[in-house]
Amino acid sequence: MMVSASRGAIIARILAAVFGCYAFVWAAVALGVTALHGAGMEYHAAEQAMMMLAFLLYLGLFLWAFAAASVQRVWLVLAVGSALMLAAAWQLQRMIIG
Amino acid sequence: MLNSFRQSMAWVHTWFGLVLGFVLMVAFFFGALSVFDREIDRWAIPDTRFEPQPMPSYDDLLKQVFADLKPHPLDMAATAERVIGDLPAPDTMPMVGLFAYTTHRDPVLRIGAEFDIPNKPKDPADDHLHVHGWATIDPRTGAALADDQLKIGSDWFYPMHYSLQLNWKNLGIFVVGLAALVMLVALVTGVIMHRKVFKEFFTFRPHKRTQRSTLDLHNMTGVVALPFHFFFAFTGLVIFASFYYFPVSGTLLKPLHDRHEVVEAEHTGLPHDEAGVPAELASVDAMVVEAKRIWAERDMAGEVGLLMIEHLGDANGYVSIYRAGSDRVALVGEGIHFKASTGEVLREEPPSDPVGAVNQFLTGLHLQHFEHWTLRWLYVVGGLLGCICIATGFVFFVEKRKQEHARRGLQGCRLVDAMAVTTVTGMVLAAVAMLVANRLLPEAMPGRGDWEKWTFWGVWLLCLLHALWRSAPVAQARSNPAWREQCWVLALACIAAVLLNWVTTGDHLLKTMLLDPYWAVAGVDLSLLACALVSTLTARRLARTVEVRSATRMGGVAYE
Repeated sequence: MMVSASRGAIIARILAAVFGCYAFVWAAVALGVTALHGAGMEYHAAEQAMMMLAFLLYLGLFLWAFAAASVQRVWLVLAVGSALMLAAAWQLQRMIIG
Repeated sequence: MLNSFRQSMAWVHTWFGLVLGFVLMVAFFFGALSVFDREIDRWAIPDTRFEPQPMPSYDDLLKQVFADLKPHPLDMAATAERVIGDLPAPDTMPMVGLFAYTTHRDPVLRIGAEFDIPNKPKDPADDHLHVHGWATIDPRTGAALADDQLKIGSDWFYPMHYSLQLNWKNLGIFVVGLAALVMLVALVTGVIMHRKVFKEFFTFRPHKRTQRSTLDLHNMTGVVALPFHFFFAFTGLVIFASFYYFPVSGTLLKPLHDRHEVVEAEHTGLPHDEAGVPAELASVDAMVVEAKRIWAERDMAGEVGLLMIEHLGDANGYVSIYRAGSDRVALVGEGIHFKASTGEVLREEPPSDPVGAVNQFLTGLHLQHFEHWTLRWLYVVGGLLGCICIATGFVFFVEKRKQEHARRGLQGCRLVDAMAVTTVTGMVLAAVAMLVANRLLPEAMPGRGDWEKWTFWGVWLLCLLHALWRSAPVAQARSNPAWREQCWVLALACIAAVLLNWVTTGDHLLKTMLLDPYWAVAGVDLSLLACALVSTLTARRLARTVEVRSATRMGGVAYE
């Protein structure tokens, strides 16, 4: 069963699935809450909505981290995506608070 | 990752399921027990074996109880580490907030309070600086329960369900969270692996060889209860999400969150801060009467579930009264807030927005404090089906590999099997041993609750050592006798617990079922007897399997 995947590649995928996806979802939640609240939704409603979506997103990403052809691309998407979303959430928050 | 999508998914299912399966086993089993946490408390603390009580009068009883409540030494010590300088004497700290919480299954009442301190925090971002005090009281008299009377159901089995009692940096909550995510992953990957999901619903071949019937049982319990498993893993994550897993509001989005709190306070009219002017407290009982009148007017008459006072003793103080959710899925609701000094209504909470309603429904259905005994038992059944699903997963893992491991001289199966023994029979034995210890330890023994906890851990550790010690046959592709031996001990421990309950309290099953019915205690006793029966049957069945195997080996017939 253990074919066509080196030990290093498997570890890279496990770390990506558990920690990389966690960071990505964290950033997505932050951006989602800010964006929904910015669009007029009550803060706690926005927060609760994102908390429910978060785990479905995490679940999908987790599986993708093992299904994707290239582990490098998985890490690239997770890292760049998280950084961009965190920056966007921060910027959007500053604009809302004014 | 591997050759095909399905192979990759099977790899994820096998290895994440195995490693986090041990955690999931704990979460599912103690989750099933937590469904009846209050009833287990009654069994473990015989003094509290009386009927559930409504929220008592504040003016006549709780006022004095709260006046006597002091900061808890444990929280004094914890807070002392977070602040600069010494804390003042506990008697001098003013109480600034309080709560009392009860449900339709609680004879005793949980109360708690916050005490103000003048110290500055070591970490400037640490903005919730209070010392807490808490107690459990008899709401008929106001007398506090002894602090070392451990509520085994709600203060041991229930936290075990979501935190494994690993409190350092909330590590346990994160491990259980990862396990819950892996449960979701295992369900999805499991469906991907087996395309004949519908057929597996009806397939169980108990007389085929162990590997086949185990897989049947694994698939059947996984598929039959799939919505149940998915729902509980998912809602369990949602319950802890905003506080532990994705605390955006306390970190990155704190400015936005805090701004919203202030805006919200203006909008609701509930003061966000203290006024700094002392004020008396008006009659809280009168506020309760008014709250009940408002609920009845909305055609949802009910009892008080949660009573809170914020800014106690201050002109900005307010009393919040929430309706118990006994007839609703949401835990508590329909909050009505009163000005503490006058008793005038400050705010009636409007119905939740759609998102909030969905969230309350999901979390309420997981935590289930509503009154529905059939559904409550179905939760237990679902939880135990989950345990069977996970345990058969372990057994299948071992059965599939042990011939090959034996040929190649590997020890992997042996270790996995010993861990499986520990988390299946060992875990149940630890829980039952705790109940036995609860009935054996002297009533007045100091630190009694701690001894019960040590019994729990000690017995569990012994089960691990026993499972490892007896595991050698697995490396030769035979089965570990520890399974059978622990089943026997478990059966004896269950019966001992029931007998000890009779001897030490006089509450035997004839009394608790017929003469003077008290179903909380009868239910625990009956469950223990059911457990004794199942473990006896299992032990006998395992013994038979061993006999059959050695017979076939002697006859030289290939065993299929």
